[in-house]
Amino acid sequence: MADIGNDVFFATIPELNARLKSKEFSAQELTRAFSSRLAQLGGRYNALALPLPQQALRKAREVDQDIKRERLRGPLQGIPYGVKDLLSLAGQPTTWGAKPYAGQVFDYNATVIDKLAGVGAVLAAKLSMVELAGGGGYRYASASLTGPGLNPWDRTRWSGGSSSGPAAAVAAGLVPFAIGSETSGSIVTPASYCGVTALRPTYGLVSRYGAMALSWTLDKLGPFARSAEDCGLILQVIAGGDAKDPGSAGKSFYYTPQYARPLKDLKIGYAPADFAKWAEPAARPAFEAALGVLRQTGVRLVETKLPPFPYGAVLSTILAAEQASIFEPLIASGKVDELADAAQIAGLKASLDVPAKDYLKAMRLRRLIQEALSRLFAEVDVLLAPGRPGPATSIDRPLDRGGPAAGTAPQDPGFRTIVPAGNLAGLPALVLPCGFAENLPLAMQVVGAPFSENLLLAVGKEFQARTDWHKRRPPGV
Amino acid sequence: MKLTRRQLATALTSAAALAQTPSGPPATPDDELKAARDRLQANGAVLARQEVPMATEPAFQFKA
Repeated sequence: MADIGNDVFFATIPELNARLKSKEFSAQELTRAFSSRLAQLGGRYNALALPLPQQALRKAREVDQDIKRERLRGPLQGIPYGVKDLLSLAGQPTTWGAKPYAGQVFDYNATVIDKLAGVGAVLAAKLSMVELAGGGGYRYASASLTGPGLNPWDRTRWSGGSSSGPAAAVAAGLVPFAIGSETSGSIVTPASYCGVTALRPTYGLVSRYGAMALSWTLDKLGPFARSAEDCGLILQVIAGGDAKDPGSAGKSFYYTPQYARPLKDLKIGYAPADFAKWAEPAARPAFEAALGVLRQTGVRLVETKLPPFPYGAVLSTILAAEQASIFEPLIASGKVDELADAAQIAGLKASLDVPAKDYLKAMRLRRLIQEALSRLFAEVDVLLAPGRPGPATSIDRPLDRGGPAAGTAPQDPGFRTIVPAGNLAGLPALVLPCGFAENLPLAMQVVGAPFSENLLLAVGKEFQARTDWHKRRPPGV
Repeated sequence: MKLTRRQLATALTSAAALAQTPSGPPATPDDELKAARDRLQANGAVLARQEVPMATEPAFQFKA
């Protein structure tokens, strides 16, 4: 067996692909190395839901045969990866991170898993998540069948949710990339807390067939990886129309960094208050430095405001109404009480009471929000905001007690509601690690108009060519 | 859509209030359920104050 050094666990997809093609190691050797690492370290971060070493090795054997016969299938061929445990894998448990579904087994694969298999990617594990993706509103990081997601940078801190496992596993070098999901914040938050690059695609660009439904009109699937370029390569594979997903936009995605607009032609909208006032004091120097790097690329940073809408109330109402319909059988059966988090249980039960008029009002306001944000993108090309205002919180801190102390909130709301706003309008967002505070990673998010992923990735690629935050490794791994 | 200054202030105050909930977690499951229902009702109240043109259709995409 080839000697696979520790560096391989933090290599990008093009780096791994080049080493596979040069036969420095085989897909089977690479898969064994990652499977062994998942088994060794997955439990340390509560990141692992289901290891798949035998299945992965069978796939890797096929890949080696293909490579031997020069049947090359692109940069993901032979690359191990993980998926959040809300994606169906035929014949294997799919728990949705929740005790009531611990024994659930489907007989079909999620579309994204089939698409990745088609290009020779090797599914090595299912990864942990907050129970039911946290739609009921959870209070503690422990709201998961696998326990609280522990941050590889500091295991007393949370890895973020609800895609806890995908973010932690990529950060700790347990997989080169992973697929997670976002309804509102479930990619942006864990990627920010764990210091990995991640992409929330435009609503409808990636098929959700085979994924747990939390909110039909908000759910998206997207990659966690080592760089913006990796995210582009993964998105190219998993994007595309799918008749099995009623929300599918029917669009494909081709990663074309060579055709990106020059950055000096771009206007980036931002709110200085986000970085100078809403950001936690320890995080402000890193955010200011990141803004400086962006300015050096030649982009124009333009002060902008989000149109004034009650984004949080609109999103919460839509999410509550849709999840009430989806999980009504769970709630009616009483099995909802088996969930780990009391706030989540109560939130799901209460969601049955959302009046139809509130849901429809929220969906009508959503139309106005989409139109207002569309007008905003006529003025600027992308929006920029912190991924989170500060580093990862302690795992025992109640999550509904966040924010600044009463009386200290700045007057300027900035883009503090960019996560619900972006999700309501179905906008893509790229999360870029951009520094550290308290020895923990920070990240910013770049948000674009629908289907502007290539533009976001171009900004990300340029930022990452000038920084190495995305290459930093947690201590001791 | 135009918002009055009062509507904007109410919306922002509600969002800030959610992020700054000052008291401890509810003591019993019944208290927890009541708190969850109160939050949803507060959201409904915020929505009720928003003016939406009559012709504005919900943001559904239905394809026949």
